[in-house]
Amino acid sequence: MGLIQELRKRGFEVVGPSSEGGVVKLVPLEDETKLETDYVRTLNSPKDFLLPDKERLFRYKSTATITSYGLKIRFPTVEGPCPITIVPEYSPPRGKLAFFGIHPCMVNSIRYLDKVMLSDPADPYYKARREGLFIAVLECAEGDEYCFCKSVGGDKVPKGYADLSIRKEGDGFVVKARSQIGCGLLMEESTEEVEEISPKMKEEYLIDAKDEETIETKDPAPLLEGCTLCSSCTVVCPTCYCSDIQDRFSLMDPSNVERVRVRMSCQRRSYSSIAGGVIFLKTKNDRFKWRMKHKFPFSEKMYGMPGCVGCGNCIAFCPSRIDFRTFLGRRVA
Amino acid sequence: MSIEYNPFLPRPAIVNAVRDESLETKTLKISLINWRANFLPGQFVQLLLPGVGEAPFCIASSPSDSKHIELTIMRRGLVTNAAHYMRPGDAVGIRGPFGRPFPVENFKGRDLVLVATGIGIAALRSLILYTIENRKDFGDITLLYGARFVEDLVYRDELRGWAEKINVIVTLSKPSEKWNGLKGRVTDHLGAINLGKGSLAVICGSPAVMVSVAQSLIGKGLDRRDVYLSMERHMKCGIGKCARCMIPGGFLVCKDGPVFSAGEISLEEVGE
Repeated sequence: MGLIQELRKRGFEVVGPSSEGGVVKLVPLEDETKLETDYVRTLNSPKDFLLPDKERLFRYKSTATITSYGLKIRFPTVEGPCPITIVPEYSPPRGKLAFFGIHPCMVNSIRYLDKVMLSDPADPYYKARREGLFIAVLECAEGDEYCFCKSVGGDKVPKGYADLSIRKEGDGFVVKARSQIGCGLLMEESTEEVEEISPKMKEEYLIDAKDEETIETKDPAPLLEGCTLCSSCTVVCPTCYCSDIQDRFSLMDPSNVERVRVRMSCQRRSYSSIAGGVIFLKTKNDRFKWRMKHKFPFSEKMYGMPGCVGCGNCIAFCPSRIDFRTFLGRRVA
Repeated sequence: MSIEYNPFLPRPAIVNAVRDESLETKTLKISLINWRANFLPGQFVQLLLPGVGEAPFCIASSPSDSKHIELTIMRRGLVTNAAHYMRPGDAVGIRGPFGRPFPVENFKGRDLVLVATGIGIAALRSLILYTIENRKDFGDITLLYGARFVEDLVYRDELRGWAEKINVIVTLSKPSEKWNGLKGRVTDHLGAINLGKGSLAVICGSPAVMVSVAQSLIGKGLDRRDVYLSMERHMKCGIGKCARCMIPGGFLVCKDGPVFSAGEISLEEVGE
């Protein structure tokens, strides 16, 4: 499509779905990359570009040295100005980010990440990457058996979160501008009112999980029989943002330390451990309930929207297809 | 790309003095280089040890000195073990102060009951020093402090000085034969404390102890909103972005806490 080239000409790094080895993934679109428009779900999500799995916060020098008997950390001693030289290194994408051809559920996930990361105090790294974000929404006509965006309100594009709207019609596409930048790109005078279509669901569910108590009192044990605590559900989730902050260095050069933020999963044992070995979420039942509570009641309370956009990735990419929809609600159609 | 304010960047500081407190704890006095930490009792900082990592600690010194902070550190994990090797003059980094402090303005004119077990007293020391400095503003102050044995008592030398200004009750759960003070756990001695009208309680200790102490104080007639707990979680970012310190009820310990009143949180759920 010419639009992608036009966006890249304007300095955007365009990210869009592309089919690769049987799965559809969001990848930076180059000239030869083929855009995939006939898909339901992608393996990764905008989160992987806005909030990378591993992100360097800054670098600094320590006085660690390798000796014949192992690593020795000698703390820097101060005489005069402090010798810890902290060199913050921000790694912005090559240009401003543009998401091309993502579904409305993913657009909602960006809205959720905005609420978390831009709430006071804003996360500077996310904010820098988020600035000038361009979104071209590909409307979704039909979901698969794991989709349930209508049940959580993830099927409508939130206001101000789309620059272009793309609809498949027959063999072609209808593109409409929904922001000033979108107008400029299409060389149109004004934005158009777009009447959104709502995707058709294979199965419909009623999910009612605003209350922490109801989740606490339910027993997930039968559902979680096949759970191996692989934490795939939190990896593919477009809104799971929990992270860990670590100091890392190479044993070849231990004096250059980098502080990185890496993804953390609530399904892991170390997620809730505190000094002295106390662990709050001991069993997989606790951890599953914790994930549900964070997604629904806690997110509603803190950010005014559920942390689940109904994309169904956590079910579709779970090795045991653990389906939380029937745990929290019931099937209605 | 320009970033005006980055809460992830530590600010420079050096270790000024190291004091042995007990078998497993040391207090680091840290001088802040060309900046001041304006904090209130109950807030915490992130201490960066270069090449090792970062861990959150409650500030244990008085807020009247904003050029220095003191952190009392018990050897437990990677960072705390490394902290025990620190010597005066070593360079460290400090982020913070973060978190919601004790509402000390609301405490004024009231009787305070402070209950601490083990290293939990580190989180209360700032409040104790603050109340001693402003002794006229508060009513009766009672500190009930529980530890395992004498060698385990933190701030042993200071306790005598404090006892001149406030009531200090120390109880040991596994004392040696030489000990002739109180024996048992803190929950055994709550009855000895007079709870008047206008009393409020501040508790810090291990999660299970905090919950049982809070429940028995509420059972004795204290209002839930007058029982304050200083919660412990392993905060990573300190600004509410990593969600590692989330507790039942959907609160973030780093932003909404670490000080909570028992009226805000569900005591049954925050324990272990």
